[in-house]
Amino acid sequence: MIGLIAALHVVSSIATLGSLAKEVGGDRVEVESLSKGYQDPHFVEPKPSLMLVLNRADLLLHVGLELEIGWLPPLVLGSRNPAIQTGELGNLDCSRVIPVLDIPTTRVDRSMGDIHPQGNPHYWLPPGNARILAREIAQRLGQLDPQGRAQYEKNLARFNQRVDAKEKEWAPLVQKLHGVKVATYHKSWTYASQWLGMEEIGYVEPKPGIPPDPQHLARLISVMKEDGAKLLLMENFYNRSVASLVAEKAGAKLLTLPTDVGAEPAIKDWFTLVDAVLKQLSTAL
Amino acid sequence: MILPALLLLAQAQPDPQLQKELEKALQADQQAAQQKQQQQQAAPAPPLLRGSQSLNPDISAILDADMGWQRRAPQFLNGDDPNLHGDTTHALGFTAQEVELALSAIVDPYFKGEVYLTIPNLEGIEVEEAFATSTSLPWNLQVKGGSFRSAFGRQNGQHLHVQDFTRRPLINAAFLGDDGLRGPGLQVSWLSPLPFYLTLYGEAFSLANDPASLSGPVPDPVRSFGADGPRRPTLTAEAKLFLPFGEEWSLYGGLNFASGKSPGLLVATDTTAGAGRETQLFGADLYLKWKPANVAQGYSSLALQAEGIVRHFAAGDTLADEWDGGAYAQIVAQFARRWFVGLRGDLIGLPSSSVTARTARGALSVTFQGSEFMRVRAYAEIEKGNLSFGDATVVPVVTPDWAPAAFLQLEISIGAHGAHPF
Repeated sequence: MIGLIAALHVVSSIATLGSLAKEVGGDRVEVESLSKGYQDPHFVEPKPSLMLVLNRADLLLHVGLELEIGWLPPLVLGSRNPAIQTGELGNLDCSRVIPVLDIPTTRVDRSMGDIHPQGNPHYWLPPGNARILAREIAQRLGQLDPQGRAQYEKNLARFNQRVDAKEKEWAPLVQKLHGVKVATYHKSWTYASQWLGMEEIGYVEPKPGIPPDPQHLARLISVMKEDGAKLLLMENFYNRSVASLVAEKAGAKLLTLPTDVGAEPAIKDWFTLVDAVLKQLSTAL
Repeated sequence: MILPALLLLAQAQPDPQLQKELEKALQADQQAAQQKQQQQQAAPAPPLLRGSQSLNPDISAILDADMGWQRRAPQFLNGDDPNLHGDTTHALGFTAQEVELALSAIVDPYFKGEVYLTIPNLEGIEVEEAFATSTSLPWNLQVKGGSFRSAFGRQNGQHLHVQDFTRRPLINAAFLGDDGLRGPGLQVSWLSPLPFYLTLYGEAFSLANDPASLSGPVPDPVRSFGADGPRRPTLTAEAKLFLPFGEEWSLYGGLNFASGKSPGLLVATDTTAGAGRETQLFGADLYLKWKPANVAQGYSSLALQAEGIVRHFAAGDTLADEWDGGAYAQIVAQFARRWFVGLRGDLIGLPSSSVTARTARGALSVTFQGSEFMRVRAYAEIEKGNLSFGDATVVPVVTPDWAPAAFLQLEISIGAHGAHPF
């Protein structure tokens, strides 16, 4: 049987987590993602058809840190799948092993916008975090499917080797980006900036999820000019109109970058995702 | 609550297969723990800093405050409609349409619990809903127990702040009850294993309603259910179907049925008409939505919603066997990031009955969504009463026929409120 039919059906909230599960799960898992890479993971329509997908899942991988709070909980409840409910082995909040950034240090409230009180959930791009995620997912797959543990360990080791090799390949690009000043649309590049040594000098959104007013944009443009920020980064699921105006006025280049597997047809896994981000960033300089 | 208890009990019985699986799982856990320990020894995990933990439920409050004007008291007023307490003359003023207090939390590995308290128009606290939903039943089953809104149709299950208009449609108060079809009961639902989404629901409620009063500026709508409450549960059955058409289009539809006993009307002191008649509701609802997967091209969406109910009263208490019904259709368009415009048409009393006057209403709403937690809505409606009556008219006419009204509604939400279903 094994080898012909996948042992585990893994469903992920964002495609990158599913892709990492495929890396370590190999033929023993089949993966499906609830959202598409070109969708804003904060705002996914909780279509009942997604309950069907979850109904058949052995393992649900989600980002956590309240990224999916607006749509995932009713789907999990409606899936009528006891295996993937909160607290079960089949429900993995992947943030549990991540060294989380942007954890508020003062009391938070919604005057600060759509903040994530537990920290920034956009953590899956840096290789260090990908390694942590792959290890955690492999471990959970092994708990759910003990017969496959040796295979998952082997796949994990191979994944880590590939990350090592890729890191060597990416090193010159990473070096090139070190110290580069950037502005971003949403505060979702913190982890990537930390990894690459980029300096974030401002955001198009005055507060997470709150559309900008002209005064804020004027301030941002002058800061970008003053600091010599040459790049404005945004995800490819946001509206370009405001960002392109800011980039033009600040004399910066607007980059609409992929942030998830499937954001563009060529981005099929975590490696091609990071490849695409680094390539765009470094060629823009 | 007996069914889930039995199932839990059944699960609690030691069965050899279960024991084997348990041992297997335990072994796997142990191995994983050992493995983790080894890994931790090899590479210490980075320190994780997290916010404070709490086992308190999520608590939120939602306020809908209104300023409004109306020419006469509206017919078919719902419990959570803004009530300006006008009579046959006009009314102008303010109301706190609804204050909702919501608490929700996972109870244990078997249930989720939700409590919604509501104070409509500052008139006493009510339990809008308080229920437990099972999370761990086998065979795609789910049980809901407590006091809750029925799955009958689309708008009935929705709280006020999910609605796109300031007032609920006419069919709500006319056929389901001024507070909708809700009450203490039990629901069992089943997600079918078909390749598309189809869920079947069965519900039983204990409802108790008095005969509708005909005194007052406008007659009360006759209640479909709630006569002989202690002996005659109101039963419902629903089917909900969802079909996605590509990524942008979604079709969600339902077929609904309910059966109970009507308390009829109080036509004079101690004199009723149509009391204790067996009543059935047959309903269908449709929700068609267009929304692109991302907003790269702009912020726009479109949602069409329509719902119809036909009611059958068996003959009894001086009234003959008769049918009446009604429907509404609405379209809501998002035309900018923060702006929505909605148009709705209502018609009830078609076909005609002796207890419901034919009434039509048109409504327009323009909503500014300042953030996920704040909304300002301008709403205007015009109602035409007394369009036509059944053969043996029981309800009196209302004056004037034409009743326009307008409201400015402010809605705020504070605290942690759970996500809403599609």
